[in-house]
Amino acid sequence: MSAPSEPSSAARRAGARPAGARARHPLLGYLLRRLGVSALLVVGVTLVTFILTNLVPGDTVAANLGQRAASDPAIVAAYRAHYGLDRPLPAQYLAYLGNLVHGDLGESQQTHRAVLTDLRAAVPATLELALGAIVLSVLIGVGFGVVAAVRRGYLADSALRVVSLVGISVPTFWLAMVAYYLLSYRLDLAPGSGRLSPATTAPPGVTGLFTVDALLAGQWQTFADAAAHLVLPTLVLTAYTVGLLTRFTRTAVLEVLDQDYVRSARAKGLPGRTVLLRYVLRAALVPILTVVGLAFGTLLSGTVLVEQVFSWPGLGSYAYQASAHLDLPAVMGVGLVVGIIYLVINLVVDLLYGVIDPRVRVS
Amino acid sequence: MTSPTASRRGRARAGLAASAAAVLALALAACGSGGSGGSAPDGGTLVIDTTFDLKTADPGREYELTGQLLAHSLYDTLLGFANNDLTKPVGNLASSYELSPDARTLTLPLAPGRVFADGTPVTADDVVFSFNRLSGIKGNPSFLLDGVTVSKKDATTIVLTSAKPNPALPFILPTPALSVLNSKVVTAHGGTADQSDGAEGYLNGASAGSGPYQLKSLDVASQAVLTRNPSYNGPAKPHYGTIVLRNVKAATQSLNVQKGDSQVALDLSGDQASGLDTSKVTVTSGASGYSIYLMLNQSAGVSAATSNPRFVSAVRKAINYADLLSIAGKGAVQPAGVIPSVIGGSLPPDQALKQDLAGAKADLAASGVAGQHITLSYPSDFTLNGLSFQTLAEKLQAQLAAAGITVDLAPAPVATELDNYRNGKEQIGLWYWGPDYPDPSNYLAFAPGGLLGKRANWPVGAAPDIDKAATAAATSADPTQRVTLYQQFQRDLNTGGAFIPLLQPPTNIVTANSVTGVAYNPIWSVDVSAIGAK
Repeated sequence: MSAPSEPSSAARRAGARPAGARARHPLLGYLLRRLGVSALLVVGVTLVTFILTNLVPGDTVAANLGQRAASDPAIVAAYRAHYGLDRPLPAQYLAYLGNLVHGDLGESQQTHRAVLTDLRAAVPATLELALGAIVLSVLIGVGFGVVAAVRRGYLADSALRVVSLVGISVPTFWLAMVAYYLLSYRLDLAPGSGRLSPATTAPPGVTGLFTVDALLAGQWQTFADAAAHLVLPTLVLTAYTVGLLTRFTRTAVLEVLDQDYVRSARAKGLPGRTVLLRYVLRAALVPILTVVGLAFGTLLSGTVLVEQVFSWPGLGSYAYQASAHLDLPAVMGVGLVVGIIYLVINLVVDLLYGVIDPRVRVS
Repeated sequence: MTSPTASRRGRARAGLAASAAAVLALALAACGSGGSGGSAPDGGTLVIDTTFDLKTADPGREYELTGQLLAHSLYDTLLGFANNDLTKPVGNLASSYELSPDARTLTLPLAPGRVFADGTPVTADDVVFSFNRLSGIKGNPSFLLDGVTVSKKDATTIVLTSAKPNPALPFILPTPALSVLNSKVVTAHGGTADQSDGAEGYLNGASAGSGPYQLKSLDVASQAVLTRNPSYNGPAKPHYGTIVLRNVKAATQSLNVQKGDSQVALDLSGDQASGLDTSKVTVTSGASGYSIYLMLNQSAGVSAATSNPRFVSAVRKAINYADLLSIAGKGAVQPAGVIPSVIGGSLPPDQALKQDLAGAKADLAASGVAGQHITLSYPSDFTLNGLSFQTLAEKLQAQLAAAGITVDLAPAPVATELDNYRNGKEQIGLWYWGPDYPDPSNYLAFAPGGLLGKRANWPVGAAPDIDKAATAAATSADPTQRVTLYQQFQRDLNTGGAFIPLLQPPTNIVTANSVTGVAYNPIWSVDVSAIGAK
């Protein structure tokens, strides 16, 4: 029986691996490491959320039971037992983690439903808004930013900088009220409240995105109604992110425009459009992508005011109600979802860095 | 290999297709902006905007205003109130009632022929199950039947036996939490009469009652859709085929109802209701069933000042009650006692507290605690019918300062301040009370040792005269005598109590001019089955 032979140096140079050894793509290894770290971070998020919500100087029983019920020891005891509040805090947290492993986020004290069920309804509602807003924002904001940078010092630059400043500065709540009053009430260009008109039945739930579900079910009228209800809140949310992206894109593009290789490309006689798209914009995309990721995360987790104005039953409204009533399981659920949203977005953005910039891939 | 030209054509086609899709979507969106995506059933659709405090549609567990409205539409109770006359319960599922002279036994014969939405008859067994379930599941409204035993005398007669004289029971029975459920349906879906009950999930998706409407769909965060119960054979005459109850903030309710997107808006403040276009809508303003009051802690350990009767008297006399009404808006009234004007047993308006600045200063000087800083605690993130407690607290601080009483404001979110209040830690608290049921006995909570008395650290025996008045009022079964005794109880509270009634905020119901029959009820807001169209 012969001993396993060493691979030849030629084979090593060619990247050959020992027989039986599993080849692992560097990207796969990176992904696995990131997922492992993310799992630990999620546990950290649950711990921090749990500690903070329990530090609030209020009693969840007082906040959720009526005056008479809260004064009845039997009802209070039943309530505490039902929500596991009669156990020590460490035991409550460990039980939460144990249930979390099985996909059980507990029962909301506000809605009396499983938190997961609530989140399955609320997250797609917000996602539908955020997706529309981020797509519009990228198209408009990046375009505005590039134009402003290329036309630096000209009227277009000044005008777009003002537009950007207004977008960032105007309070979203105020803008939502104005949009509601002008575009819905006065001009009747779009409906105001809710995700659907009262007479429209929600499409069969597949994704939770009403527009997509309506299309999947072939319900064109419902799709039209859902799309119409998206218009105003999406535009309001877009205003802020457009302003943000315009500023960042302008700055990022300006930095690249001054680089030597851009001047070289121009000196070689390459068309301006080619230089802009292949040299300038590609190099400027990394910081822009970072801002897009953060903006998307903010849209998903911070739409509470817009949702309140447009009666949109999304994650922001759910989080607000949960916080106002010390609904601990719901607050924990929202904290977990928001944490996961940011982790996923950061992961996707980091992966996209590699796609955009070969230097990141190599490192 | 694809030629560059072909590639460009391909990209152009893709671009055209994308553009066409976008145009189609926009066109469809424009078509849809009219609102309705389907045709309404017979009777049309009524859209009611309100700010939800909804947790559940299960009558045995709901105890929020929206839940009461919903349950009142979906279920029937044994007794009700005709034409919103809260002073006289009348038959509903029960044809009548008879209270024994000692007010311990209430006998209720069932009205013949009443059926649930599935066509099965309403029986005494359904009533016994529903009431036992309400008590047994230990939910928010379980206290309503504390000390009450339900039994059936025969197949069509219910007997409620109270451990103590309970003349309020006929006024408690119309409360939507005491709805009668179809016991067979509820039991089939996990319903029990103890804490193992598992029917709530079912009752949040479907109703099991005999009311004028049935639950079609419910999302506690956004809307409830009700459809007319085709089997309904009760006294109401529901007009609309579909009722849509939407969760909308007050600021947008006013726009929706004027635009025609909704027909009823329930939560507008006086300011919001005052500027509406009356060619499109009608505003009905009146006093709500809520009473806002000050609680002065009677524990010397909490405050030497607020536990001093002369200091309490000084605060009582320092307040300009009429001025408080001006910030509450049209429809607000000053209750003459702790019982609001819309509930039987309330004091006549001319007996209400009045400002007496000179008297306040004299009482303050005599109290021996002048110059002390007192803390006024209140829920700063809370508004009641559009009235902000923050605004009210600031107004009170200014009024008390005019009499030489220094008050430091201690605002806090309601969720956290409730704990201090309920544990008797506040020196002065600014809070409100909404009626659980429209009977004066509900306001014995303000007596020494009562639910609210305990929060003021005001035990039984601390004010013997008021104890005596409260006991006399609680045990009387004679309707006329009850009114007299409860009025005396309030007069005693007004002179020596730990609470100072301030105002009843207004309720403003805004309706499209096409709608009729909308009337405010302090327990269930509005009776949707009474709403009609011109």
